[in-house]
Amino acid sequence: MTTAVVALSMLATACGASPDSSEEAASSSEASELTVVMWGGEDQQVTVDALVMPWAEERGVEIRQDSPSDYAKIRAQVESDRVTWGAVEVEPNFAVTACENGWATPLDFDVIDVSAIDPQFVNDCAVPILEYAFTIAYNTDKYPTGQHPTSWAEFFDTEAFPGKRGFWRYATGAMFEAALLADGVAPDDLYPLDIDRAFAKLDTIKDDIVFYDTGQEQVQLVSSGEVPLIQAWNGRIFEAAQAGQPVANEWNEHLLSYDHVIIPNGYPHTDLAQEWMNWFLNSPEAQADYANASAYAPVNDAAMEFVEPHVGDELPTSAANAAKRAAVMDYSYWAEHYDPVSERMNEWMAG
Amino acid sequence: MTALTGSAAAPPEAPQPVGHARPGTRASWRERLALDGWGGLTLPLIAYLLVVFVVPLAIIFSRSFTDPTLGLDNYRAFFGSPVYLNVLVNTFVTALLVTGVTLLIGYPYAYLMTLASPFWRSVLLVVVLVPFWTSLLVRSFALVLLLGNTGVINQTLLALGVIDEPLALMRNFVGVTIGMVQVLLPFLVLPLYASMRAIDLRLVQAAEGLGARPAYAFWRIFVPLTIPGVAAGLLLVFIQSLGFYITPALLGGPGNIMLGELIVQQVSAVLRWGFAAALAAILLVTTMLLLATVNRFVDLRRHLGVDR
Repeated sequence: MTTAVVALSMLATACGASPDSSEEAASSSEASELTVVMWGGEDQQVTVDALVMPWAEERGVEIRQDSPSDYAKIRAQVESDRVTWGAVEVEPNFAVTACENGWATPLDFDVIDVSAIDPQFVNDCAVPILEYAFTIAYNTDKYPTGQHPTSWAEFFDTEAFPGKRGFWRYATGAMFEAALLADGVAPDDLYPLDIDRAFAKLDTIKDDIVFYDTGQEQVQLVSSGEVPLIQAWNGRIFEAAQAGQPVANEWNEHLLSYDHVIIPNGYPHTDLAQEWMNWFLNSPEAQADYANASAYAPVNDAAMEFVEPHVGDELPTSAANAAKRAAVMDYSYWAEHYDPVSERMNEWMAG
Repeated sequence: MTALTGSAAAPPEAPQPVGHARPGTRASWRERLALDGWGGLTLPLIAYLLVVFVVPLAIIFSRSFTDPTLGLDNYRAFFGSPVYLNVLVNTFVTALLVTGVTLLIGYPYAYLMTLASPFWRSVLLVVVLVPFWTSLLVRSFALVLLLGNTGVINQTLLALGVIDEPLALMRNFVGVTIGMVQVLLPFLVLPLYASMRAIDLRLVQAAEGLGARPAYAFWRIFVPLTIPGVAAGLLLVFIQSLGFYITPALLGGPGNIMLGELIVQQVSAVLRWGFAAALAAILLVTTMLLLATVNRFVDLRRHLGVDR
């Protein structure tokens, strides 16, 4: 029932069931306001405090927030031509898809200066807001540091390291990349992914895999020891370790990833959103504040000098950690293959 | 619910009360809707249902045939893949099992409530109602903490030496069943308790006075009188089970995907809205077919008090 209602309301919105709200959006366009949408929770608070509010206060812009980012809502807003979401944090593969389908606004790079940003993280409709890593996270009670798996090959070796393995339940969770690296594929040859080979490798540990959905679940599983080895988001594990949980990140062979910000096509305050994008990309100190609070990495390298040393050691952009990187996630591959691989993953999980 | 009042039900044999159109005779829409006098007050309600339920439903149905291309592609994709059919079967099997277990636990519980003293009755009621008012997500997460390998139950049993290995209580069918039954129990207990409270217990006494053993009197007199409550509760539980997705997602394993989860995934992760619409349509139609089938054997309208 609940599901049907959710689906119903989304589809109804998409078909423009409430015509009055578009007027609202138009009339408020004179006011100086920006709506930012992220994944929610504490991370959103930290991001807004560090990367949004300093600009908004200086500029006199009223900030509205919503969460979590929801691709269906973006599509529904754009297709019904009443866009209320301004700058939305999304996964890069969705940014590519949204750009291709006209759901995201092509950015004006005369307004947004991306010269300080690694070009591989920028595309026509999106700029990066943070970098993070898929690491091998482990429970330090089960595997004391030094006796824990330090490569994806060891992560897949259930005889040497008994216990459950955790992966994110979505195809873009770097599970396939990890499986191929474990199977001996050279990092340079990773993309395009050999999905058959990845599934064959995953078959060898299928009974030991536990899938998690959210960051909370991820931390809960590994810190309780229920899933002593988990492919994790570095910041979550660092936070948990700081809070005294028996967990740690292994940085060797980590996969670098990032999040994008897009502007849904037709947003009335697109100019403001672009202005903000330009500001945060070129404010190293604000990015360092964000990194210090979240343990996710800044996208402007100049920020690293403002990052506290104990945090810097746990960021994928520190020199020591960057040297241990296996690969950067290729989201143009995932934009193209997400649907069929997801479908196959469902099939594999159910089988 | 549409199935109950719609075409699925067989024409009732009893004469219709005044104001209803008899099957086969032509009646104006005023008569059909019993819109005489105060009946007109239901018009806003009907309009509301039309806007928030019937219209969106029609949009979903049409979307399943038009998005992304005109035709039956979405349905072909569903019936062409054994995976999706398995999910459909799993959805119904899970819902039936959950409904059965809920009845096994809920019936004695509701009966106990009718027997208990006023104090214990309110205790029992609170025990049912507090979870009922608590967020589904919170309860499901709480169960994760209880049922996991490092959860309270397994740790206690391990500490007591009852088991050597943690029991697999979640990420499987067991976890889904425990979770869904816990969540859905109030929907059976409350209507059942209401119907049990309305039963005149002197009828049972009379049966016993006429020589029936207590168990026999209970079975022949009390149980049949509770059937409307049972039917209402079972339907509520069953239909809600079919649409569940949070609880199976948290407590189930990869093999326990239910249709609701698949729909959510298609709507918000993969953005295949046409396919999601087709899935929703398939769930709705199969549910209606199932209820129509049940209705052939059990008169749902009578047990639910629709025709009285």
